[in-house]
Amino acid sequence: MPKLYYWPATCSITVRVILEETGLSYEDEAVDLGAKKQQSPEFLKVNPKAKVPAYLRDDGSLITEVPAIALWLALTNPDANLLASDYETRVRTLEIFDYIAGTIHMQGAARAWRPGSFSETEAAHDAIRARGKDIVMRGLDILSQTLGDKDWLTGSYSIADASLFFIEYWAREKVGYQMPANIEAHYHRMLGRPAVQRALAREGLVVPAF
Amino acid sequence: MPTLCHAAGTCSMGIHVILEEIGKPYEIRKMDFANQAQYKPDFMAINPKSKVPTLIRDDGSVLTEWPAIAMFLALSNPDKKLVPTDIEGMVRAQEAMAYCTATLHMQGWTRIWRTVTYTEIESEHPKIKARGKEIIDKGIAIFDKQLTGKDWLLGDFSIADCALYFLEVWFVERGNLALPANIAAHYERMKQRPSVQASRKYDGFA
Repeated sequence: MPKLYYWPATCSITVRVILEETGLSYEDEAVDLGAKKQQSPEFLKVNPKAKVPAYLRDDGSLITEVPAIALWLALTNPDANLLASDYETRVRTLEIFDYIAGTIHMQGAARAWRPGSFSETEAAHDAIRARGKDIVMRGLDILSQTLGDKDWLTGSYSIADASLFFIEYWAREKVGYQMPANIEAHYHRMLGRPAVQRALAREGLVVPAF
Repeated sequence: MPTLCHAAGTCSMGIHVILEEIGKPYEIRKMDFANQAQYKPDFMAINPKSKVPTLIRDDGSVLTEWPAIAMFLALSNPDKKLVPTDIEGMVRAQEAMAYCTATLHMQGWTRIWRTVTYTEIESEHPKIKARGKEIIDKGIAIFDKQLTGKDWLLGDFSIADCALYFLEVWFVERGNLALPANIAAHYERMKQRPSVQASRKYDGFA
């Protein structure tokens, strides 16, 4: 059975949502980022990058990087319809995915959420947080334009929506940002999906009520 | 004809190399980052993310994000065999590109080069840069291991090698840093390719 290494409400929840959408059976193992367990010798043997998510397949091989794990799950579970088969939509899906992973998460949320990983000086933290919020909000504005009046980012539901869900959950529930109206509505649609509800439950998180 | 919005010495070098590998006509729109050209209204009308690489395609549509542009160019030119066609190979290409762009570039090099975007407190800068150096050293060591006994990251030459290439240029030409043995050999192999030579000449690394 494949195994997901995760920590609740981090970007590994994107992979979790996709796994739940496919209906695959899988195990999971929490890697306590608060206790820096990703740097432990045991975990470094699993993933020398010291990051979650990491996805251990049945043959013992590991896939890392959210966009790569998502692509693997979508392509090997075609019945779940998580990625369009035409390459134009596929490329647009990757474009959204990379923007969320590389910019909104790594440049924005990382600053806003863990300013201490950029500077140990408390006096610097407010400015780091503020810059992080700017990057996240600008990113959400750009994705708001991509979404427009559609239900899902690329027309039909895809792995890109699961990726945005991680940012939405974090922005709304962890830091209380006011999101653009259509992104907020997208978040509500996501919360209505049984797969998302199962993903939250398996990470010990409560489905937010509105 | 597609147009690549490109700034010399930035990650868009890797996309320039891919366009040269394909060998079809394209144009380059040179971006002067020293003069903040990416924040000027005429460019923000094209790409509100203010980033390169940006690819303006024949139909006028705009594509952004390094791995997405690379995947588009590879998939729309299948005869050039720039990305594996099997699922496993495609996933491994995506994995390598994501690590190069989201971690080594965005988490590592950004701390080193754009330190002031983290804090204006100058006394903090050495520590932020040191953390960036740790991230790029760890990342390049992981790629070094992946290259053991291989000429190219995925076996055959692919867009993943072009992502690793722009990082190699940063280490050597811009950072004056030594590369681990397998990466150094990969960089030399890259420099033998006419596509890479064209990019280096254009950017002044020849």
